[in-house]
Amino acid sequence: MKIRYIPLVLLTIFTTACEDSFLEQVPVTERSEVNFYKTAADFNNAVVGVYATLKHPGLYGTGSGALFAMSEIISDNTDLGVTRTAISSPLFEIDDYLITITNSTVNTAWTGHYQGIARTNAILDRLPQVDIPQASKDRIEGEARFMRAMFYFNLVRLFGDVQLVTSEIGSPYGANTLTRSPAAQVNELIVNDLKVAEEKLPTSIANAEAGRASRWAAKTLLGKVYLTLKQYDNAAAKLKEVIDSKAHDLMPSYAAVFSPTTSFAANREVIFAVQYVSGLIGQPTYSGQAGQGSDMWSNWAPFNAGSALLGTGGGGGGGFNRPTADLVKAYEAGDLRKDASLLTSYKNAQGRDVNDAYVVKFRQQGALNADSDVDFPILRYADVLLMYAEALNEQGKTTEALPFLNQIRKRAGLADKTGLSQADMRLALEQERRVELAFENHRWFDLVRTDRYLPVLTSKGLKVQAFHRFFPIPQREIDLNRTLTQNQGY
Amino acid sequence: MNQLLTKTQRAWLVAVCWLVASACLFAQSGPVVTGKVTDDAGQALPGVTVVEKGTNSGTTTDNSGAFSLRVRSGRATLVFSFVGYLSKEITVENQSSLTVSLSPDTKQLGEVVVVGYGTQEKKDLTGAIASVGSKDIQKLPVSGVDQALQGQVAGLQISQSNGAPGANTNILIRGIGSISGGNEPLFVIDGYPVTNSGIGNPLNTINPNDIESIDVLKDASSTAIYGSRGSNGVIMITTKRGKAGKTRIEVDAYTGFQQVARKLDLLDTPDFVQFIKDGRNNGYIDNNPNGKITDPNNLRPNSYQIPSIIQGDISQLPNTDWQDAIFRTAPIQNYQISASGGNENIRYSISGGYFNQKGIVISSGLERYSFRMNLDGKISNRINVGVTMLPSFTKQDDVAAIGHSGGAVVQAALSLPPYFPVYNPDGSYFVTYRPTEGDISYPNPVQLANELKIDGTQLRFFGNAYAEVSILDGLTFRTTIGTDLNYAKNRRFQPNTIDPINILTNATGTNTEATNWLNENTFSYKKRFGDHSVDAVAGFTAQKAYSNVLQAQATRFPDNLIESVNGGTINAGYENVTIQTLLSYLARVNYSFKDKYLVTATVRRDGSSRFGSDNRWGTFPSASVGWRVSEENFMKGVSVVSDLKLRASYGLTGNNAIGDYRAIGLLQDANYIISNTLTPGLGRSTFTNSLLGWESMKQLDLGLDFSMLNNRIYVTADYYDKRNTDMLFTIQTPAATGLTSAVVNLGEVQNRGFEFALTSRNTVKEFKWTTSANITFNQNKVLAMSADAERIFSTALGRTAYAVTQAGDPIGSFFGRRVIGVFQTDEEATAYGKQPFAKAGDFKWEDINNDGRIDDNDRTVIGSPHPKFFFGFNNNFSYKGFTLDILTNGIVGQKIYNATFSINNSGVQNQLQEVFDNRWVSPSQPGNGRYGRAIRGGRNNNPLFSDAYLFDGSFLRIRNVTLAYNLPSSLINRLGVGSARVYATGTNLFTFTGYNGYDPEVSASNDDLRAAGLDFGTYPQARTITFGINLGF
Repeated sequence: MKIRYIPLVLLTIFTTACEDSFLEQVPVTERSEVNFYKTAADFNNAVVGVYATLKHPGLYGTGSGALFAMSEIISDNTDLGVTRTAISSPLFEIDDYLITITNSTVNTAWTGHYQGIARTNAILDRLPQVDIPQASKDRIEGEARFMRAMFYFNLVRLFGDVQLVTSEIGSPYGANTLTRSPAAQVNELIVNDLKVAEEKLPTSIANAEAGRASRWAAKTLLGKVYLTLKQYDNAAAKLKEVIDSKAHDLMPSYAAVFSPTTSFAANREVIFAVQYVSGLIGQPTYSGQAGQGSDMWSNWAPFNAGSALLGTGGGGGGGFNRPTADLVKAYEAGDLRKDASLLTSYKNAQGRDVNDAYVVKFRQQGALNADSDVDFPILRYADVLLMYAEALNEQGKTTEALPFLNQIRKRAGLADKTGLSQADMRLALEQERRVELAFENHRWFDLVRTDRYLPVLTSKGLKVQAFHRFFPIPQREIDLNRTLTQNQGY
Repeated sequence: MNQLLTKTQRAWLVAVCWLVASACLFAQSGPVVTGKVTDDAGQALPGVTVVEKGTNSGTTTDNSGAFSLRVRSGRATLVFSFVGYLSKEITVENQSSLTVSLSPDTKQLGEVVVVGYGTQEKKDLTGAIASVGSKDIQKLPVSGVDQALQGQVAGLQISQSNGAPGANTNILIRGIGSISGGNEPLFVIDGYPVTNSGIGNPLNTINPNDIESIDVLKDASSTAIYGSRGSNGVIMITTKRGKAGKTRIEVDAYTGFQQVARKLDLLDTPDFVQFIKDGRNNGYIDNNPNGKITDPNNLRPNSYQIPSIIQGDISQLPNTDWQDAIFRTAPIQNYQISASGGNENIRYSISGGYFNQKGIVISSGLERYSFRMNLDGKISNRINVGVTMLPSFTKQDDVAAIGHSGGAVVQAALSLPPYFPVYNPDGSYFVTYRPTEGDISYPNPVQLANELKIDGTQLRFFGNAYAEVSILDGLTFRTTIGTDLNYAKNRRFQPNTIDPINILTNATGTNTEATNWLNENTFSYKKRFGDHSVDAVAGFTAQKAYSNVLQAQATRFPDNLIESVNGGTINAGYENVTIQTLLSYLARVNYSFKDKYLVTATVRRDGSSRFGSDNRWGTFPSASVGWRVSEENFMKGVSVVSDLKLRASYGLTGNNAIGDYRAIGLLQDANYIISNTLTPGLGRSTFTNSLLGWESMKQLDLGLDFSMLNNRIYVTADYYDKRNTDMLFTIQTPAATGLTSAVVNLGEVQNRGFEFALTSRNTVKEFKWTTSANITFNQNKVLAMSADAERIFSTALGRTAYAVTQAGDPIGSFFGRRVIGVFQTDEEATAYGKQPFAKAGDFKWEDINNDGRIDDNDRTVIGSPHPKFFFGFNNNFSYKGFTLDILTNGIVGQKIYNATFSINNSGVQNQLQEVFDNRWVSPSQPGNGRYGRAIRGGRNNNPLFSDAYLFDGSFLRIRNVTLAYNLPSSLINRLGVGSARVYATGTNLFTFTGYNGYDPEVSASNDDLRAAGLDFGTYPQARTITFGINLGF
């Protein structure tokens, strides 16, 4: 070969062979989207990632999440036993109905829910195109839709009209002019998602799948959505399906529902719960969350109670979510649920009694600080019964509704209610839900759903106003997207 | 192809043979011509190239200037050429011996400049390029060439902010152009653009003595040939290569010592005791209005207690100078042997060197073994081949010098009470960690330096081979294949003896492998057609960089005996691999008409793995024109002007220092509990931004090269305007996207400036005096940032939000409150009414927003850490065998925040005597009005970031003085050496500055230019005295 042709040969090799593959480099030691969403295992990892959003600090994560503040502290159930600091001040704003548009608790709730929504969208966008077994596909779709519906249901209840994102936003600028959609439109998506989910999700969850959503979870949530939308016939029908299935039942003992020693299989009452396991601090986990344990026990223990109450290494006691005197007296005499839900004093290191109410529903004696095993129920059978009773009562079927109320009261060791009018029944259900579901993030939503938040809370001297029905849209979002409107009153 | 390979292989075999037996001769016919070459003054000139015209036969003169060359026939024309001298042709007719004298080439424009993918004569340049020769590089006894370049090139700002041996320097060409990306220029070693692998300063692995020249490419016209890597400027490093002729052996050695250039005047025990009492009493009274300064410790909170050790007779207490305890006189030494030579077919230049620099802070130092082997061979009339090889091994012993409080040697020495001894009477370390009675926990810095082990080694092999094929007349093809292999390891071991209470014994081990390969293929064409002259190059290149960092950490050591992660329980670690690829097409045409009108056009097209898939290729064009006015007829009569050229260039270049994989969406762990078991889950953590690309830079350069009085005075002046856009930027994104931030291209920064360089040969007779001076004015300004991140605050070493990057101000401007005085009386403070807690002796802050109260909204830009201008002023004197070089440089207008003095004003740490003497004590002792009272935990919070501790950092430094003597030939002949030079240097001899810290050239945050100008426990600079000798054989 003549030397003068060498360059020509090199040029040809160079320009034809390397260009594209040479320049396409993907991360080697970091996981990237490039090779993801290909297999059923990938989608399973993505779905676990969706469930993991439950531990975002905007939901039920670090600091017990934002939702307890936005449903319990804002109501007449709880307040704060902690001193006002930079960390606690957003909660005080909520407790005092002086919520600023930069409130970090509200902001993180917004962010967390949209993170979950984006993760479900990423799955739902890609699922139709991949070739994986239909059974896996159905389950993944069901779980993703159930979770998306739950995220949106929280958003629409907390904020009213919200941005409706139904597919993954790939561009950093993709939501810069996305306006808020009417709540009705969001509810439509929620109902549609749950209708698909209830078809695709399995009827039973094996022990190995404990923590995942079942068909009954989807139906319960759909029943709750209908109830909130005041579609009482739909709500009653859906909740009846759950009751008739006999897949779930009340636990004989109220305390056993929340006990870490009650196994998943044995706990027939819990339909869907945030899963906690202690001892995983330091393991790779949800970003921002130290481990996979619950901090509801130590964080809601009396402020600075210390090891006398919480044991060595159990933390100091956060003083958040302190039961109000009003809630303490809401329990009827003899209500077995009271001591399983709250206590009003503890013995300090000197053996003296300190009077300070605190939540014991999620107590785990001996748990280390912010690391207990007690799951946090989102949907449980007692709620189903009470919602069903409410749906019936609202349709005028008060008598029909009564046994379901009494089923709850019976377990609590209380006498049956009899001969209630529809209006009496409403009040009875309101009271029963309050004590049965205390600290489970229902109270504010119940009062808003029944339009009772103003009369109930103002009668107790709380400074709530009509516009507090919704939280403010975080200012951060409005700064980034000038087309977003603020809720009235903020 | 097979044929080709074997041919090449055979060629290399031959080349290696030549290397081993360099005396190998080729038989020639014809007579032998011998002779001697001298300069005007009759001094022998070694190394002059002698070639028989029209042939490839040639040689070089030896140390006595003698040569011997076999010519083809009795009548031959010999061409004598030597750098810095005018070439001469002499025709010999049957002469066997002749003496030739060469005249110095006074025309600086005749120099050859290394540009990207070629060389150019300086007179033909249309871009802004500055060159530094080996002589100017080797004057300074430094580990890296970057330190030697300081003050030598206009537009090149090099800051040695850290005095540790082997520490990084900040190198900026024409200002800071990137906010979040890299600002380092591209380094090109013998044509090979090296990737900064991040193991430390890459220039430390290259012996400055191996460098022949440095060319600094500044404007877009000259850097556009490096496309997406050109916007921060390019520094071309050319290593020494062999010349045909007799073997030359050189021995270079120097040795010397270093001392801290400046010690701070801190308080001795009596003053310090007074200071502590004042600070704590003031704090106590401030926070406890009913308290009295006579209150005993049991009534006071811990912070305000007076240590019992100073309550009694203090005259017997030690008076320790902690600075003396950590500083030392440190030796520096350097040895190098090199050999070069060859014949017309093979030339070589090889060297081996050893450098050892101990640090002025105990337990620090740098050692380097470096080698160079450069070969150039001629295989046939058409083919030349060659190779550059630069292996080196660097060993660094670090000390935790930088930082504050907890674990830093310098800050501890500046803080600890002088009444603490270094050692106990039994010789063990005195425990300085005493968090009782209001003292805080500084480690004993001597113990920390000696017992905290931080070591690193780096093995680097740089090799680049080329083959050049002449295809047609004027058309050449060149192909190169090269590699840059780096293996580094870093080890850190901290025994629990230093801080027994807080820190368990722990160790970290990091191994880094960074490899890089490059293939470049270029065609060049050079031809003259009458008045038209064309010099063009076009080519394609491919480069790949691989990096692997593997780290393991361990803790819970049972003892301190095993200083490795193996001694404890390994509890953390990672492996991080990145790969970067770059494909490029490039072309440049230089055209000149009548040597008067010059045009250059350059384009490079880069495809990079770093760029998003929809923005993978960038095109970077530039153009420049030059007009050699002095060649015009109308200038012919103006004899005072030797040369005058006007230049203008404009072009687009890029900065690809945006990190790897930034365009690709990553997933993060999103694990959850399924079935009471930790179950892996994943979620998106970053956006896929398929449009993410390079940072763009458009630069206009207007220049002037001017020489007069027969080239005695040579001036270069440039005006430039650089606009960096599409910068790498982290923006906030709406949460509805699922993520809250993203990396995008955004914003605009401007650097505008003026450079001026002058060389003046003041006297040229027997006494020669040459002055070279340069000055650069640069103005940095952020023009645009994103709407959601209008300000980026910088944090360094625990100082939060003290600098701001925002539109309208320079990058990293100091941001804080403005002090408008010190309250002289409590009444004055009350009358001001805007600072409810202020008392006499506290700072009075300006109410910037006029809202009647002082808070964080009264912060404003209070100064810039960037200079208004910087300069170098260098003089060279020579008389007979003596030469004296004096280099000075200076930086003017930059501000420095001294955080040490700020936090040390609370009655805990030691303080400058100046602050002590001038602080506010009482209305009758008001001090100088600048420093407030000593107070700990004062309610007015005087240490809040303000301009109280912002100082002018301007300085003028005598950077280097070198006195050398070339031994006369009469003496060296007797010694049996070819040449001998002895010299003494003093580096960093004196600094004229008003700044009262260690050194005004400081930045505790190292490479973070958004957080520049912070003085907070930095490793101080050394003053170095060395003595050396150069011998030639």
